[in-house]
Amino acid sequence: MRVFIIFLIVMLNLQASVYQKNCVSCHEKLPVKIDKFFYRYLLKYSSGIETKYAIKIYLQDPKKENSILNPALLNRFGVKKKSKLSEKKLKKAISEYWDKYKVIGKLK
Amino acid sequence: MSVLKNWDINLRQSEKKTLLSFFILYSFFTVLLLLFLAITYYNSQKNLMLKDERLILSKYANKQIQKLKYLHVNFDKVPRIYPRNKKFKSGIYDSVYVKIFSLLDSDKVDLNEDIYLQDDKIYYIKELESYYLGTKYVVIEVKDNGIWKNKVYNNFAIYGTILLSILLLMGYFLMNLILRPMREAISLLDRFIKDTTHELNTPISTILSNIELSEDKSADERLQKRLNRIKIAAKTISNLYQDLVFLTLSSKRESKKEKTNIKRLLEERIEYFSLFFQSKKIVIRLKLEDGVVLYVDKNNFRKLIDNLLSNAIKYNKINGYIEVTLTKNDLCIKNSGRGIERDKLSQVFKRYERADKSVGGFGIGLSIVSKIAEEEGLKIMIDSVYKKFTTLKVSW
Repeated sequence: MRVFIIFLIVMLNLQASVYQKNCVSCHEKLPVKIDKFFYRYLLKYSSGIETKYAIKIYLQDPKKENSILNPALLNRFGVKKKSKLSEKKLKKAISEYWDKYKVIGKLK
Repeated sequence: MSVLKNWDINLRQSEKKTLLSFFILYSFFTVLLLLFLAITYYNSQKNLMLKDERLILSKYANKQIQKLKYLHVNFDKVPRIYPRNKKFKSGIYDSVYVKIFSLLDSDKVDLNEDIYLQDDKIYYIKELESYYLGTKYVVIEVKDNGIWKNKVYNNFAIYGTILLSILLLMGYFLMNLILRPMREAISLLDRFIKDTTHELNTPISTILSNIELSEDKSADERLQKRLNRIKIAAKTISNLYQDLVFLTLSSKRESKKEKTNIKRLLEERIEYFSLFFQSKKIVIRLKLEDGVVLYVDKNNFRKLIDNLLSNAIKYNKINGYIEVTLTKNDLCIKNSGRGIERDKLSQVFKRYERADKSVGGFGIGLSIVSKIAEEEGLKIMIDSVYKKFTTLKVSW
């Protein structure tokens, strides 16, 4: 039974997306949820192309100047560590993030 | 035009064409000018209306932005329903012009404009500083009530008509101003011809009557020949005099239509020209059908025959022939003359136009023929082969 549960966990872990594994898992532990970051990006960059590009630039080279967090939060939490994901995986993760929270197609 | 009436002058066809061309050109530029003014006026009124509407639409846009802001902040807490308003329709677009959501009637919105009119709808575009829900452009659409347009069209009708009338009136005066020197020159020429003609009448009549009196069959052949030459010369001047009278006093003549025996009239005129035929040794061939009676002005028809015969003699060669054929439907006069080149055929009925300038004359003969034919409702056809023959056919 124990073997089966371990197998199930391993399988689920293998099936989880790059975004789920590398982004959601960490952000869940933070007081500010991941969607809040999305709306801040949207507020600043408007389109899908520009938003995704801004996120990618920040994750590859996190700096205070690139961050969309306000200065108070930045001082408290600082900037995150540089992502170790490859360009391809990073793009895939960001795309999933965009598709999950984008406004287009969700308004009635 | 009073000048023309006073001096019995009619503008020639080519002059009328020039005037018509001037009038068309002037009208074209007048309409073009009016069109330009109309478009400018229309655009200025449209911009004025848009300027007024802009204030209202800007308020609508601000309201919409406030609602978008609320929805952005509470996107995961409230129903995701796009804010609507009865007074206007709206749409939101991102920074790369991708539609986020739209209630607009048109899908094609020019986001680079500030405010514009399209298909009777006014579109106002406001750019956001903070992109709520990713919105960079908010588009507000309202229906144009068209009041300004009705006002513009009414003003077009009123002021356009007034302006068009003024411009056309100016064109008329301008045309008169341009024509004045030409009219004065023509009237001077016509007056000269008229005066000369008047002075010719008495001496010609005197010469002709005295020749008739001097004709003596017992006179020797040489004297008879000289008298004949004088008679021909006098008749030539007399014909010219008659032609000029016809042209200069044409508007004062009253048409007296009567039943006219054409064969008899032809024979009479051929007899009148017999000396001319003899002088050029022209053979006259007659094929005259009996009983051809037309209801025409006899004097007019006589003038027509005289001019046709006179031309047939004038442009004939020595020892040539003239063929006169009369049928119930037409009169045909053919001469063995120099003929007329094909490209000059259409010009021969114009006044002062002469296809062959080697022979004397003013070029008024066929112009008179054409005028009489027009007055009497006759048709004229000309056929000619250069250096061979010329045929003039008058049909009724």
